[in-house]
Amino acid sequence: MKKSRCAASVAALVAGLAFAGAANSQTIEFWTQHYADKLNWNAAIAELIEDFEAESGIQVNHEVVPWSAAFQTWLTVARGGAHPDCADMYWLHSFSAIGGDQYGPMPINEYRDEFPTLEQDFYSGALRDVIWQEDFYGIPWRGDIRAMIYRTDVAAEVGIAGPPETWDEIIEYAKKMTKRDENGNIERWGFAFGSASNVVSWLLPYYWQAGGEMMTEDGKTATIDNDAMRAALSFMRDLIWEHEVVNEDSMEQGFDALPLFVNGKIGIIGSAHQAWGVRLDREYPEIDGTWAMARSAMGPDNRSSFSGAGYIGVLRGSENAKECVEWMKFLSRDENMLRLSKASGAVGTKPAVMGSDFWSDRPWKVIVGQALEDAHTSQHPAPAWSSIATPKPGAVLFDLMYDTIILQKDMDAAIAKAQERMQAELTR
Amino acid sequence: MNEKNIFCYIMVAPALIITMLLGIYPMFASMFISFRTYDLLNVQERGSHWVGLRNYYTVFADERFVQTVIQTILFTVLAVGISVAMGLFLAQIINARFRGLAVLRTLILVPWFVPPAIASVIWIWLLNTDLSPINSLLRDMGWTTRNIRFLTDSSTWGPISIPMLAIVAVRVWNGLPFIIIFLLAGLQSVPKDYYEAAEIDGANIVQKFIHVTLPMLKPVLLILLALLFMGGIGHFEMNFIMTGGGPRNLTNVMAVYAYNQGFLFFKFDQAAAASGVILMMSSVICVFYMWAQSRDNLR
Repeated sequence: MKKSRCAASVAALVAGLAFAGAANSQTIEFWTQHYADKLNWNAAIAELIEDFEAESGIQVNHEVVPWSAAFQTWLTVARGGAHPDCADMYWLHSFSAIGGDQYGPMPINEYRDEFPTLEQDFYSGALRDVIWQEDFYGIPWRGDIRAMIYRTDVAAEVGIAGPPETWDEIIEYAKKMTKRDENGNIERWGFAFGSASNVVSWLLPYYWQAGGEMMTEDGKTATIDNDAMRAALSFMRDLIWEHEVVNEDSMEQGFDALPLFVNGKIGIIGSAHQAWGVRLDREYPEIDGTWAMARSAMGPDNRSSFSGAGYIGVLRGSENAKECVEWMKFLSRDENMLRLSKASGAVGTKPAVMGSDFWSDRPWKVIVGQALEDAHTSQHPAPAWSSIATPKPGAVLFDLMYDTIILQKDMDAAIAKAQERMQAELTR
Repeated sequence: MNEKNIFCYIMVAPALIITMLLGIYPMFASMFISFRTYDLLNVQERGSHWVGLRNYYTVFADERFVQTVIQTILFTVLAVGISVAMGLFLAQIINARFRGLAVLRTLILVPWFVPPAIASVIWIWLLNTDLSPINSLLRDMGWTTRNIRFLTDSSTWGPISIPMLAIVAVRVWNGLPFIIIFLLAGLQSVPKDYYEAAEIDGANIVQKFIHVTLPMLKPVLLILLALLFMGGIGHFEMNFIMTGGGPRNLTNVMAVYAYNQGFLFFKFDQAAAASGVILMMSSVICVFYMWAQSRDNLR
């Protein structure tokens, strides 16, 4: 009797463990950064997870990676550190190169057919951010489009009816908006290049607007020694030193355009995150009606706007790739992408999302939709791009900007040197 | 080995293991990498191989790094020198007995409660050219008419600049309480008889400080200076957060340089070489300290 009871207990234990193991294989670890309001973001993901679990039976454990630790986290993951099964990621090219075929983002070509209408459903520019060396890595879920933002009250004060439409008008309007006290202390800057803390991202739209491209399409040859770069850098330099409408310290760490704009100390920002619309609506309702967004001004060649993106992909080492793909399929539905877009404030990567009521219920959102037509991806097909575009001294583009715009060094020599350094980075 | 020894080893073991794992091992691993290629963008593909001192040549060929080494020394000397001088002065004051001593002690110790990263963020705002309340105050008092660009002015006097002095001031502000506590402990161990004897000999307050206080504080000062110089050579967070090394690399220090090489440019080999230089400089201070201490012991 005792023996049979013991055997039954062991059998029950083994069955229990087996069941637990099976149940465990239906649980995926999913990491995201946080967007907009953290509580809202967590709640939105929790709701999506609940719906997905009810539908598929697959459990999702969600963890948030703070933006302040995101880069180090993904770098560690790409070097073999602890990783989730799937995650909200960025900089696919760099992290793929760092991880090689062992760690980091995992190509999911075998699941490509699970997304049969990918090309029709998503913006083509967004899809460029999930394909690297012809491998398919996931679904793009958020866009970061930048447009011009300006203070309408300041414009009215100086007799301007609308936003600047061209580079020349930027100079003209910014001069009118710039205001100093009797001692020469600035009370209001007419213009700021961008809202991002990454100052290198300020240069890109002006360079593109002048007709330039950073590198060839294969990512192997640097293409910055040209007239477009001279035009962009000259325009930025002159705004500071000749027209005196941009803060000469704006390239230094600690410069934050948001409080200055909110307090009316900046008239126009050339390239502002679309997420500022969400933030200004939510955090600064008192200045509603005193600001507006506008499409980027026309440069010598076009009116390109900076566009970034994030994607949801699978990590190498995951044993739950199939379950992750199910999760990604669920998230990529129009209604779920809209829920993500609403929670994050990030523009959608599908026309169906951007055509929704949510993206047309405020004037600035309509402009964001228009700015998508001017979108130029900031992703470049080179693993070293993040190193080249790092906004720190020692990085190729930062040094080029600092030398020419702030220190006003010889432009031809600085560009030639940057071209050489960038080429060396691309062939690292 | 007797029971007492075994007990001692058991008590020390956790700290020793943690130090070995989190201190000694990474230090040797970093030194090892500094003699090899280790480019994060291609190490999976090309691997890592021995290159001897090439990484050290590369970082020293970078004029930014040389500038950074000089500035690190300057930052350390200024911050340590000013902190210790002020610490000696303030420690004497709070070692005395007077009404309001408790309040003064609390006020002096307050900056210690602020972590350096938080202190940096607070001071970024306080020193912001356009928003600084310090600038407003200076203008209201009529002392200046133009805003001072505390963290962004790139004019220099030799290697010294306003942003460098601003960061030194914040480092002193944040580090001073630790120094005062250290020196206060030393001061309170000086026998009062020595001061009474000096008074009988007719010594004034300065003479008492030079001939009694300083010699008696020498062991404490030696430890304190060694700690501060070693900490100063490897200092990171305030320079990283407040200016990132700018403007024009004028506030860059070796630890920030090493961080940027590794985590922004993915050149872990050069980051390890820069860190190796920090380690060697700290080691020199450490060896000097040990030599000075052993010389004192021999006497």
